[in-house]
Amino acid sequence: MDIFANLALGFSVALSPYTLMLAVAGCFLGTIIGALPGLGPSNGVAILIPITFTLGLDATQALVLMTAVYYGAMYGGRISSILLNIPGDEPALMTTLDGYPMAKAGRAGDALVLSGVASFVGALLATIGLMLLAPMLARVAYLFGPAEYFALYLLAFCTLGGMASNNQAKAALASCIGLGIAMIGVDNNSGLPRMTGGHLHLMDGIDFLVAIVGLFAIAEVFFFIESHGKGSSIGVKLEKVRIPWRDIRETTPTMIRASGVGFVAGILPGAGASLGSFLAYMTEKSIAGPKGGFGTGVARGIAAPEAGNNSAAGGALVPMLTLGVPGSGTTAVLLALLMTLNITPGPTLFTDRPEVVWGLIASLLIANVVLLLMNVPMVKIFVRILSVPAWILLPGVTMVSFVGIYSLSGSYFDLLLMIGFGALGYVLRKLDIPTVPVILGILLGGNMENALRRAMVLSDGDATFLFSSPIAIGLWIAAVVGFIAPMFLRSVLTKPQAVTD
Amino acid sequence: MTKRLFKAVFATAVLGFSAPVAVSAAECIAPANPGGGWDFTCRQIGKIMFDIGAVDQPVQVTNMSGAGGGLAYSHIVNERNDDNDVIIAASSATTTRLAQNAYAGATADQVRFVGAIGADPGVIVVAADSDYHTLGDLVSAIQADPGSVAFAGGSAVGGFDHLKPLMVLQRAGFDDIRSVRYIGVDGGADAITQTVGGFTQAMTGDMSEVVGFLNAGEIRVLAVLTEERVPGFDDIPTAREQGFDVVAVNWRGLYVPRGISDEDFNGWADKLQQVADSDDWAESMAANGLAPFTMVGDQFQSYVDNLVVEINTLSREIGVIQ
Amino acid sequence: MASDRIFGLVSLFVALAYIASATQIQTSFLADPVGPKAFPMLVGAVAALSSLVLILRPDPDPSWPIGRTWVSLLIAVVVLIAYAYSLKPLGFLVPTAIAAGVLSYQLSPQPRAAALTGVGLSVGLFVLFRFALGLSLFAFPKGWF
Repeated sequence: MDIFANLALGFSVALSPYTLMLAVAGCFLGTIIGALPGLGPSNGVAILIPITFTLGLDATQALVLMTAVYYGAMYGGRISSILLNIPGDEPALMTTLDGYPMAKAGRAGDALVLSGVASFVGALLATIGLMLLAPMLARVAYLFGPAEYFALYLLAFCTLGGMASNNQAKAALASCIGLGIAMIGVDNNSGLPRMTGGHLHLMDGIDFLVAIVGLFAIAEVFFFIESHGKGSSIGVKLEKVRIPWRDIRETTPTMIRASGVGFVAGILPGAGASLGSFLAYMTEKSIAGPKGGFGTGVARGIAAPEAGNNSAAGGALVPMLTLGVPGSGTTAVLLALLMTLNITPGPTLFTDRPEVVWGLIASLLIANVVLLLMNVPMVKIFVRILSVPAWILLPGVTMVSFVGIYSLSGSYFDLLLMIGFGALGYVLRKLDIPTVPVILGILLGGNMENALRRAMVLSDGDATFLFSSPIAIGLWIAAVVGFIAPMFLRSVLTKPQAVTD
Repeated sequence: MTKRLFKAVFATAVLGFSAPVAVSAAECIAPANPGGGWDFTCRQIGKIMFDIGAVDQPVQVTNMSGAGGGLAYSHIVNERNDDNDVIIAASSATTTRLAQNAYAGATADQVRFVGAIGADPGVIVVAADSDYHTLGDLVSAIQADPGSVAFAGGSAVGGFDHLKPLMVLQRAGFDDIRSVRYIGVDGGADAITQTVGGFTQAMTGDMSEVVGFLNAGEIRVLAVLTEERVPGFDDIPTAREQGFDVVAVNWRGLYVPRGISDEDFNGWADKLQQVADSDDWAESMAANGLAPFTMVGDQFQSYVDNLVVEINTLSREIGVIQ
Repeated sequence: MASDRIFGLVSLFVALAYIASATQIQTSFLADPVGPKAFPMLVGAVAALSSLVLILRPDPDPSWPIGRTWVSLLIAVVVLIAYAYSLKPLGFLVPTAIAAGVLSYQLSPQPRAAALTGVGLSVGLFVLFRFALGLSLFAFPKGWF
């Protein structure tokens, strides 16, 4: 088989003691970067790019280091999601829904181990998918035009109603807040600013990282000041950390399905890891039905988003390598790195530079194994965070958030916005209005509008263009079902669980 | 926490890099998120400057995205007008936006343009299986029925990628600019994907964005918008030789704050010239589809001044700005 | 009951204001069929509708904090805003130590522990960010050294 010969080539490039050491160091740094709120995989990788130059790494070594950081950050994001209800980065958002309740129930260790295993499965399957199918999968991007993308985003928003709290109006309001915020900035279709009030800082819109850190981390601090830590996960008596074999066994089908969903979402440029974990979570939730207890701290609710986002991260490499189209912020940074190393991704990369591609694939596999081996034993260290007193931990989280956001643009404006989001998050959560839809609105709102408007430019305003392909029709059907089904389920289900807490 | 901190510090020690202690290290501001052209400019020029010894510390790259470069621009003008340790990545997009007054009142004379070292030639591209074989084919199709061709490009409406086909059509005597369809997507590669997928009929962008697809045989380049054919791509005709006198290149360069001394300005111009002359840069240009285009110092400043006037006139003519 | 109604009322006004300002969006000469106004207005309309539902069918009230807690929340917000403004002119170490110290004191009123937390976090995080992650932070205001 060709693949094995290629893989052997890849490992021969990637398996030297020095590169292995880089992989370990990269995984470690990545995990820390991912776990710190405000520092996600994309700025983590960006921050570390200069290091590859200072160290004088060659192309493969630089790639090994960066992919290790990338995957590490994807693993790390879940840690603060689970322990503190603060997503370390945006793909880890969905992990708060079941991870944090589980931690509050004293099972933080189980949640961390399980999510680590799920991350491993997702990333592993995605890497295998990348290996076997990448050149072929690249064609998928050619099938998605504006109409198809619009239907895809519509699907995401339609299923939001199904996830949200007791009150569907509140979920709708929350997503409108996000969508409304997403409209701020220069309108790509007319080149003119909208809703900026003439403010230069708002021209590029509001960074979702600012919103996520504000709504989660800063709001959390306000809650602590109010409650002095009662009813939170900090200080909860922990069970002894051991590997929850039963949960892992029971969630195996979930992990595999979620990996599939995440991988497909990752391949589509513009969808990315956040949509991957969201769709994976929603798919599993609807398969489980109301009896699944999603949102209360169930194992499947942790396995699904984690397998989903890590496999989306792998999937996002497909369009990046084969088309040069970055599917997410992080792959955009990796793309920049490749170009600085004089490697131009594109349809010919697999044939022109096999040593780079297969070295990369081999390093993904290595990073993944290293991360699993590193993460499971380290769970014992991670859970100890919860025994740090709140009066040290919370100011620490706040300061980390400030620096993380400050590093985005170096302006106090984003910091003020972040504080504003903190206050908003406090009020929203008090009123049992879910904050997850706000983030999704900000993340996807602009893309959704652009897709619609591009479709209308192409069809000259003819709305039937939106249903002009089998893919688009299929997505529309899924969206309509996703919107209507919860309404019927609601009558079956007496009282759905609140997701926010 | 302290334990993790210790490990983090330890890990970096293992990595063996020393922290950039000296505050005097030069800074290159990329006015966009990592991954774009400006980011590339900063990282590549910064890396080569350090490698060839033009600077003695690695150049620190800062990403300051906002307002399509406007945030970095106003930051430099208002807060660091006399900082001689900072360089900022610029390209045709910078001058286009300045010319279209998209930086909220900022003008091109508030900074000094140091130089450009390479240019990305504009191209107009169709899918390999398209019926359009020459730029003339495409133009006459639009003249016959403007709705029959939609362009995809990496810039917003009114941006540089959008202006390219409009300039061509204007030279062909086509006035009904409003009827030309254009969608601005997230970057050149995305625009090609849409074109190869058949959602749009043509793509307008830069040479560097299409090289990979060209080699893979997915696309056909109808015209390159340069004065001469681009070395290495000698079989691609220019727009000019097909009868459409349009030249549009996306140069990659730098600007510095207005308030620095002539000595410092020339210092940066000299360093940039050294990068331009280096083998590393030649290699990097070849790999990224850039054509040689070196112009530094005062000569470049006057080139930019003319460019701003030209684009401003053009934008008014075709109605992108009032 | 009242909380949801008040919030619904506020968000109704915000939604209407949003729609109103959406009508003021400049339209370019080269407009597309949908235009830059339609989507924001749609979002505003859905938000207004949801707000109405909230006003008409409110959920039970949450337990809001009482007097003194409000004051400490307000102090926290003020400290954070002051911190945001001071990070650039005053460098990292001093503002961080003060802000972290105040927050720590608010969570648990032990002055000595809070002061130690402030200083410890400030120095520790500076080392982490500056040296391990290579962010360009300044320890002290420019020109001090």
